[in-house]
Amino acid sequence: MPVWVLVAVLMLGCVAAGGAETYDFAIPEAEPKNYEIGARLEARYLFHRYDTASAKYRLDRLQGDPGADAHEWHGVVEPMMSYRRGILKAALITHHEYVDDGVGTGTRDDVYEGYVSLTPSPRFTLDLGKRSVLWGKGYAWNPAGFVNRPRDPDDATQNLEGRVLAGVDLIRSFEGGRLANLGLTALALPVIDDWSNPELGADGDVNYALKLYLLWHDTDIDFIWFDGPGQPLSLGFDFSKNLAENIEIHGELAWRRDVLRTVVDPHGRIRFERADPVDYLLGLRYLNALDTTFILEYYHRGSGYDRGELEDLFAFQDAAVDRWQASGDTAEVERAQQVTRSYFSERNPGRDYGYLKVSRKEPFDLLDVTPWIALMASLQDGSFNVQPGLTWTPLTDLELNFRVAVPVGPADTEFGEKPDACRPEVWVRYYF
Amino acid sequence: MKKILPSALVCLALVFAPVTAFAEPLTGEQILERVDRNLEPGDLEMYRKIINIEPDGKQKEYVLRFLKKDKDKVVTLFVSPASEAGRATLRLGDNMWLYIPNVGKPIRITSMQSVVGGVFNNADIMRLDYSVEYAVAGSTEAEGQYVLDLKARSGAVAYDRLKMWVDGERLVPVRVECFAATGMLIKTLHFSDIKDIGGGMASPAVTETDSPLYQGYKSVMVSANLKLRQFSDEVFTLNYLPRVKDLR
Repeated sequence: MPVWVLVAVLMLGCVAAGGAETYDFAIPEAEPKNYEIGARLEARYLFHRYDTASAKYRLDRLQGDPGADAHEWHGVVEPMMSYRRGILKAALITHHEYVDDGVGTGTRDDVYEGYVSLTPSPRFTLDLGKRSVLWGKGYAWNPAGFVNRPRDPDDATQNLEGRVLAGVDLIRSFEGGRLANLGLTALALPVIDDWSNPELGADGDVNYALKLYLLWHDTDIDFIWFDGPGQPLSLGFDFSKNLAENIEIHGELAWRRDVLRTVVDPHGRIRFERADPVDYLLGLRYLNALDTTFILEYYHRGSGYDRGELEDLFAFQDAAVDRWQASGDTAEVERAQQVTRSYFSERNPGRDYGYLKVSRKEPFDLLDVTPWIALMASLQDGSFNVQPGLTWTPLTDLELNFRVAVPVGPADTEFGEKPDACRPEVWVRYYF
Repeated sequence: MKKILPSALVCLALVFAPVTAFAEPLTGEQILERVDRNLEPGDLEMYRKIINIEPDGKQKEYVLRFLKKDKDKVVTLFVSPASEAGRATLRLGDNMWLYIPNVGKPIRITSMQSVVGGVFNNADIMRLDYSVEYAVAGSTEAEGQYVLDLKARSGAVAYDRLKMWVDGERLVPVRVECFAATGMLIKTLHFSDIKDIGGGMASPAVTETDSPLYQGYKSVMVSANLKLRQFSDEVFTLNYLPRVKDLR
């Protein structure tokens, strides 16, 4: 099995590398190099214990009985290389993944980043190619990050696929005033076939994004603008500030014009609404004297479904599945799958959320171990996902992770209807 | 004779003036300024190796490139190990940020956090000049050393109070005890291996720290390859942080 082979190779390589460590005052890394080559290897295993009464599980049975549980394997190789000469830099990160989800196997090969940068002075940089873009200050959500890819807040160091763009970055620094720094980032994001930003519009569209950054009164402030032929005009604002030596606060505010929203009633009738939703997020990070970090965030999603709308959607879906099981006619359940696709494609389709993550380095003299627990709650219906986890770094460049996701909530609630009753996950990562 | 006497007195004054000035004891503020200049003499770049030694004797090493401009601008770039390479931190006065390449955006961090674990926190690794963050509350002299009591200038500083032992001859710190506002000892820094770094200045190449809060742990910071160098102000900005590894 390829994944087991990968794990074995990882472990052997790491043990060999770890055994060579010595106490040494020399710093050979001080010799500058024009190139960098490295890679990240990852092996990941997930076990799905299904909630057979959940909405998504019942709907997916149309494609065949998934059973009570499933095993899922991922093997990932991400080579990285860069070369710089004078004011020019070229970089490439590719992603190669093997997946075995218990039903079938597949591979995926993507260019995550591949770009050329021209930096004639620290005040000016020109980028061309595919680069990762991540804007906003939130940990769990970034409502003002209009061009961001979605990411897992509890595995934040995963590489993300970039955006194909042409970008300019201008920076100015000021002495003595309240305004210390000013930065302007301008991006053009073209849509070309299915390889360049296909999620952002139709072939030939060009989307534009601007971010104005200020360091003003020791506060980070961003003003963000995004627009395109197939995208709603979007305006965003975010901030971040240290209140004390161990407390940071942050927030985001986003407004989008004329966003299409699909609402389903209990009878399956679809209603299209156009709205100008406002999203916002407030958060803080606090480090206490016991070296425990707390991250707390509140997120309001203006275009999200409220409790009544979610109950209607689940009621329609349940009725469709019940009728299919009673009559054998698949027409209605197929329609239910189609209607609810946009709902299930969103990580958090609801309206109000809370997020709390508590992590502590090396508690109880457990060396190299960081346990954590994260809680994400839908505040409208009281359902939540609780996720304890553990990171162990026994050797340099080797990271072992474990976490268990447990969605909790009654029927017709967001987390109560998640397909997994419990999902343990373990992954090992090695860098070289 | 009346004309000769004043001239003689002036000559005497001129002859003895430097001696008088030299003999005049340095104030606490002057000592602290000299300490700052010896530790980090102006705009510079150097490499630092941080070694975290755990209670079981296991060591973890991090190598970072350290850039400093003026008294309050610091950038560090992690060079190794591979899992940390490309991470960068920025400090502008009391503001600190961390950039992790995979995360893709800089995030604000606080001085009491530690980006490398171990006993050193961010304020130790990205330390500004002591005189920027601390005022001299008192100074004494004993056994060839100055002892300075330093008080934080604001609440944003990592330690409320420092007690600093300074080598009376070379004006470099020998030991610094760091206290919380409650009076609790948070950690002790030990400076050693003082090396001439040119320009008549000497700087400790090794800083060790231990803490009653981290029993059995020790962290060591080794400085090397120090070069005086001028950087553009824009190098010390949030937008430039993801590109700082390209700076040569």
